[in-house]
Amino acid sequence: MTDAKTLAYINMYAVLGTLENLCALDENARAILTNKKPISICFDVKDGPAATITFKNGRCRMEDGVGPCDIRIPFSSCEKFNGMIDGTVMPIPSKGFTHIGFLLKQFTKLTDLLTAYMRPDPADLKDKRFFDISTSLMFYTIAVAIAQIGNQDEIGKFSAHNMVDGDILMSIKDGPKATICVRNHHLITVKKATDSPRALMEFSTIELARQLFDGQVNSVACIGEGKITMGGMISMIDNMNRILDLVGLYLA
Amino acid sequence: MASKYCKHDKSREWYNRAVKVIPSGIYGHLGPAEGLWIPTTSWPFFSERAEASYFWDVDGNKYIDYMCAYGPNVLGYNDPDVNGAAIEQAAKENCTTTPSYKMVELAELMVDTVASADWAFFAKNGNDVTQAAIMCARYYTHKKKIIFVNGFYHGVSPWTQKLDYPGVIPEDVANNLYIDWNDINALKQVIAENEGEIAAFIATPYLHGNFADNVLPADGYWQQVRKICTENNIVLIIDDVRAGFRLDLAGSDHYYGFEADLICFCKAIANGWNISCLCGKDFLKSSMSGLSYTGSYWMSAIPFAAGIACINKMKKLNTPAMFREKGIKITEGLKAAAENNGFDLVVSGEPALFYLRIANDDSLFIHQDWVQEMVHRGIFVTSHHNHFINASLTDEDIKRTCEIADDAFKTVRKNHPECF
Repeated sequence: MTDAKTLAYINMYAVLGTLENLCALDENARAILTNKKPISICFDVKDGPAATITFKNGRCRMEDGVGPCDIRIPFSSCEKFNGMIDGTVMPIPSKGFTHIGFLLKQFTKLTDLLTAYMRPDPADLKDKRFFDISTSLMFYTIAVAIAQIGNQDEIGKFSAHNMVDGDILMSIKDGPKATICVRNHHLITVKKATDSPRALMEFSTIELARQLFDGQVNSVACIGEGKITMGGMISMIDNMNRILDLVGLYLA
Repeated sequence: MASKYCKHDKSREWYNRAVKVIPSGIYGHLGPAEGLWIPTTSWPFFSERAEASYFWDVDGNKYIDYMCAYGPNVLGYNDPDVNGAAIEQAAKENCTTTPSYKMVELAELMVDTVASADWAFFAKNGNDVTQAAIMCARYYTHKKKIIFVNGFYHGVSPWTQKLDYPGVIPEDVANNLYIDWNDINALKQVIAENEGEIAAFIATPYLHGNFADNVLPADGYWQQVRKICTENNIVLIIDDVRAGFRLDLAGSDHYYGFEADLICFCKAIANGWNISCLCGKDFLKSSMSGLSYTGSYWMSAIPFAAGIACINKMKKLNTPAMFREKGIKITEGLKAAAENNGFDLVVSGEPALFYLRIANDDSLFIHQDWVQEMVHRGIFVTSHHNHFINASLTDEDIKRTCEIADDAFKTVRKNHPECF
């Protein structure tokens, strides 16, 4: 029910892309990059996604496509790239051997930190700060994964085909917000709120969002209980939620 | 006018109990999620009693109900004639080893009432008979594919759902073909592309889908469809579950001047007593007989007795004419109230099943706001589904509805100064 290409897009933009938010939210991540020269890494997947991540002044930014970079890591297939993400494939740069130290040290520390937040030890979640960062990172990952599935997965594309143009605001009250922009059935996630949503879906608390992400509560019941608020062009939400159902399959 | 705002504390208490023991608390179209009650805090979740055009929720709030249980309330809740027949039958028998003769009486009445019907087959829900219609068409033609109209709703069987719905696998919908409403060329094209493979074309008599303005058939549309289906040995199925008996007691195909091969009824047969019916042409009777298709309660006598009483009363009252007249009256009143307050209320579909949309924004936030203000004030309408008229709706109900609509529009206008 899942395919390697869609997973590669998710791994690129939703998983590695969340390094942006990790660096923004967690001082430990920023500390890893302190006093380091700006450096950029390009991941280039044959018949799949390509993106360039730049680390500069403690911040991280991902840009789509093959850009100017210090380290370039090509992958011969989506499966190989997915293997790097799940730790079964060792990445081999085609450019930037002099920067290999960053890849082996700082970059690995960052991805390990991201993994700690994305697949947390239950004991760590008792710490409120950790809980908030972990849940926020999951939120951004899920929001970006929605767009990748809507654009790549066969069933996801069917759902996207049924979506009208407009912006969907997805948010946690008093927490992270994202906008799923729909244009001609193509989805792009922007990791901030839109000023003019055509539809919205908001989780009432970050604790509720966590329970939903972990599958501990039922979203339909939460709507009835008023814990999830929906509004506007509901057909957009309806179709987005069908894609959301697939996110769990890919991120499991 | 002063309006009392409804509160729903007890509804919430019951809902909190429900979610512990019932998946999603209230599932399906009567529930807050699928019913699109936005925001849910404005809506009652559970009712306590109902009479005529009204129901009272568990908090004691009274509503003038324009959803009519999503259709089954056709004469008025607790209609004395229909309930009287049901109670009388209950005293005799209901679910028995051999069916009651009442089944034959109702079948005869259906065949006499529905213009295209040569026979009647009974079940419980609309989905039971749309499923039966598809199976019958496939058995008769020995073909697999079915043509649907985009925006359709024909029930909850996997084949009626979409590829991305939970629990549906691609194979469930692999034989579904989709075309747009009122598009004869698309129909011709899909038939040409699937020559010799199509068992049936299934559609509602007009496009009364959710989330979008409802669309009537173009002039000559159904006559052309009828001709094309006959020429290509495609069974023409009309899903009259929602509109059936509300436009025409002879069937909505009769109303639009054509004859279906199979026509599905449910909601308006028995004023809330649980029964559905597939009617068909004689040439399909043998195929229908051959299906392995039944249910434990499909031949229960109480709904048969209720159905006979209901259909006879609808005939006596000429309810389709009544629904049209009341539908026009209420929608004209609502449009006037909207216009008085600077809103563009679009009314679409047949007046008996009117669909509403405020067109001042393209996001429907304003529409949803107005609908919840209506419900808050005791007028039960819903955001993205057609509405229903029942025979007990009075002029006084309509007048009050329009007054409340005006009040609700005033509040919405105040809440949305950006639009004015």
